[in-house]
Amino acid sequence: MTVRLQRWLTAGTLLLACWWAAAPSPVLAQSGEIWSDNLASPITGLAMSADGQRVAVGTRANEVSVRDADGRELWTFTAGNSITGLAWSEDGSRLAISSEDRFLYLLDGETGEELGRTKASRTFNSVAISRDGSLVAGASDDMQVYVMDSRGDLLWTDERGLGVSAVSIYGTGDDARVVMGAHDGRLSIFSKTGRQLLTTRLEYDIDALAVSRSGGRILAGTTDGGITLINGANGELVWTAKADSDVTDVAMSADGQILMAQDDRGNVLYLDTDGSIVRQLKPEGEIRQIAVTGDGTRLAFGLADGQVQVLDRMQQSVGLATATRTRNMAITATAGLVALLLAGAILLIVFTTGGRRMWVQHSVGPLNGLAAVWRARFSYLLILPTLLFLLTFNYYPAFSGLYHAFTDWTPSGHSPWVGLENFRFLMSDRFFIASFRNALILVVVSIVKTMTMPLLVAELVFNLKNRYTQYWMRTLFVVPIVLPAVVEILVWNNIYDPSIGLLNEFLELVGKSDWSRVWYGDPKVALSSVLFIGVPWVNAFALLIFYGGLISISDEIIDSSRVDGANVFRRFWNIDLPLLMGQVKLLLILNFINAVQTFELVFLTTGGGPGDATYVPALELYYMAMRMDRMGVASAIGMILFLIILVGTIINMRYVRTATEFEA
Amino acid sequence: MSAVTMSPTMRKLRLSLGQTVITIILLFLLVLTFVPIIYLVVLALKDNGQIYGRFWSMPNPYRWENFALGWVVIGRSILNSIITSGSACATTLLLSSLSGYVFARHRFPAKEIIYTGILALLMIPPILTLIPAYVLILNMGLENTYWALILPWTSGGQVFALLLCRSFFATLPEEFFDAARIDGATELQAFWRIAVPLSIPILVTVAVVRLVTTYNQFMWPLVAISSPKRQVVAVALTQFTSEIGVTDIGPRMAAYITASIPLVILFSFGMRQYVRGLTAGGLKA
Repeated sequence: MTVRLQRWLTAGTLLLACWWAAAPSPVLAQSGEIWSDNLASPITGLAMSADGQRVAVGTRANEVSVRDADGRELWTFTAGNSITGLAWSEDGSRLAISSEDRFLYLLDGETGEELGRTKASRTFNSVAISRDGSLVAGASDDMQVYVMDSRGDLLWTDERGLGVSAVSIYGTGDDARVVMGAHDGRLSIFSKTGRQLLTTRLEYDIDALAVSRSGGRILAGTTDGGITLINGANGELVWTAKADSDVTDVAMSADGQILMAQDDRGNVLYLDTDGSIVRQLKPEGEIRQIAVTGDGTRLAFGLADGQVQVLDRMQQSVGLATATRTRNMAITATAGLVALLLAGAILLIVFTTGGRRMWVQHSVGPLNGLAAVWRARFSYLLILPTLLFLLTFNYYPAFSGLYHAFTDWTPSGHSPWVGLENFRFLMSDRFFIASFRNALILVVVSIVKTMTMPLLVAELVFNLKNRYTQYWMRTLFVVPIVLPAVVEILVWNNIYDPSIGLLNEFLELVGKSDWSRVWYGDPKVALSSVLFIGVPWVNAFALLIFYGGLISISDEIIDSSRVDGANVFRRFWNIDLPLLMGQVKLLLILNFINAVQTFELVFLTTGGGPGDATYVPALELYYMAMRMDRMGVASAIGMILFLIILVGTIINMRYVRTATEFEA
Repeated sequence: MSAVTMSPTMRKLRLSLGQTVITIILLFLLVLTFVPIIYLVVLALKDNGQIYGRFWSMPNPYRWENFALGWVVIGRSILNSIITSGSACATTLLLSSLSGYVFARHRFPAKEIIYTGILALLMIPPILTLIPAYVLILNMGLENTYWALILPWTSGGQVFALLLCRSFFATLPEEFFDAARIDGATELQAFWRIAVPLSIPILVTVAVVRLVTTYNQFMWPLVAISSPKRQVVAVALTQFTSEIGVTDIGPRMAAYITASIPLVILFSFGMRQYVRGLTAGGLKA
């Protein structure tokens, strides 16, 4: 009987495994796909000509690949850095490219021959070209829009004084109009010669733009997740739809009938002409770029893992519904099967003699590990939520960080192993080296700060004879703890303010105005200014800990020292300090750990400047990850800091053990 | 001359002189400590004209409307902070008291191994997990949501809370639970009816420490939340000028004060628990 039971369970489990292996994994590509390919680097630019006969794909690895309608590669082009945008003239005879190499290129669509280029002082982030290819516009991170003609000659630039990350062009020849969306939400239309014709204001930063063929409809995506349709003739808002998060790309067919948008969570939204979201899809794989042909028959998606998919729009919409249904069915079936199997197992165990025998045998079997585990299943169940949380949000990130320190980490993309490359890079990074010098100073100073002033105040308060004053002094010194940590820094920013700050005003008041300066701006005093924040450094927490230590010293010891004629200083050195070693150890370690990770103190005051005068490692980590997109290098910094903290903690523990032994 | 040989009057004189010196030093340090806070309050009640024109004079008239202006800008994010810190704290309490109970009172295979594995997390500094956790949240599609804050905070708080809860539950006498079992209480009833009520003080300690810690968190929300609508107050305060375009100093300072109110309330009830919680981790003696 037992054997049969086990056979049953094994068969069931096997069946389940087979089901999982065979279950269709529905991907976008299965429905309506015309062709797809993988370019092995995140797709950062995607454009299709009006008839879909030409597709241009740009990658972060600097490549532009031009394909025909069936996905055959016609020619390629390599820029000096990542591609940020692509645009086709209507007939596919001209291709405009924007790149992080600071150039805006215009190429011949048939041959890939370069026709002209324009240079900006910083990265270009988007590009547009007129239908006839006579006008090319590019927005750059230097806050300007550059407009050039078909030979690459710069016609005009427009300095917004604000970031611009979306441009578009409609019309041809002298009637071409340049549309640009800025970071203050302003949408402006310019003539070919650079005259501003119209401007309108949306509430949030404009990140993406698409214009219909006539310019009558302008679709704008904003950072609050808004998708807004604007009447191009008068700048009036027609409607606004809402996505869940930042809209990073929008696309529209030439007649303005087919509207799509994509948000930064990889959702693709299909809108109808009234601005309602017809469908929202979260395809597998992270979509970075979307495009639709002028006639609206084809869609293209560019994914973060380098995949490009060109789809038939009609078939795709049908196919996606099927795919979703299939997936739902698969999930339901799997869940059902698992439930069935469990129910079967329970029934077998409870209602068959064999099952019961197995149950009894195993649960009374001496030292049977598995049975003991099974008996304690309730305990495991209760700690399961805790364990799942810790595994997901603490263990996994920790190991992920340690592992990715050795890779060129591209989230959701390919992350090749690079060995010690990230560390080598850091060793040659001027800012990182400087940050270590500063971190060392910060650690030492912060330890000195906590070990002196709070201890002094604790000792003084402790030596007050009047209980009442003692209580109030202690309480008042602790009051500042109610200020959020950030607020203290921000108030000090104001104190240091060069034009209206308390410090400079005070120096003027006492006639020392020649001492006043731009405290954060002067490389000689910037770090000292940051360290000076919080003077007189009576840290409430440290104070309470020291004070708590002092009052726990027994009165007898203190009295006997007094009788022996020890003065205050001798008592401090020979009695108080040795007995406070536990507190010293705690504050030492906490301070060390915090100081190594210092971030807000610098980020909110000097931002690391001037130059590298106040740079700290955590700041470099933040910039590397969030501004430079170099997650691997950031992880390497995290790992270095982790090791430093680990070593520091171990040394501290060793050192303090000797102190305790000495005490006993 | 040693103290023993001094005449009683001289001793007394010297003692009171010492007390005066101590008091003076303390008062001086106290004033220095409070300068930024007083400065903050004074600025919060002035308008730009008063600040630039008469820097050293007291506010006249008092611009109480600065607080209303500050609230308009910062109110939403204070609420965000309360929601996220509060939910994370509640979940932490629930999970860690439950598993603290299990670790203290149950016996099961690999118990100590698992427990050590959890405590080992105390050695992991937040800076190491910052970026990987951000990528994790991105991949889960949770960036810019409350979950991006609540889930990691819930998780991170558990280690310390579990440590406190386990050591507390271990001190509860076995007889309580035996009695409950005889009366027919299930394990969960024993936990909920006996262990939890007895451990209210330790749970309050954990709650206060967690609330203060998460309310003050800056770097994680800065990374995980980009939408001003979802941002917590610690970060929102620093983005004030750039996001909303408020250049007046008064309302900004008023907002800083407003942002402190939740902490004032919390500390007025839980200061003792806060200090006890912070010292409990490191000081066993």
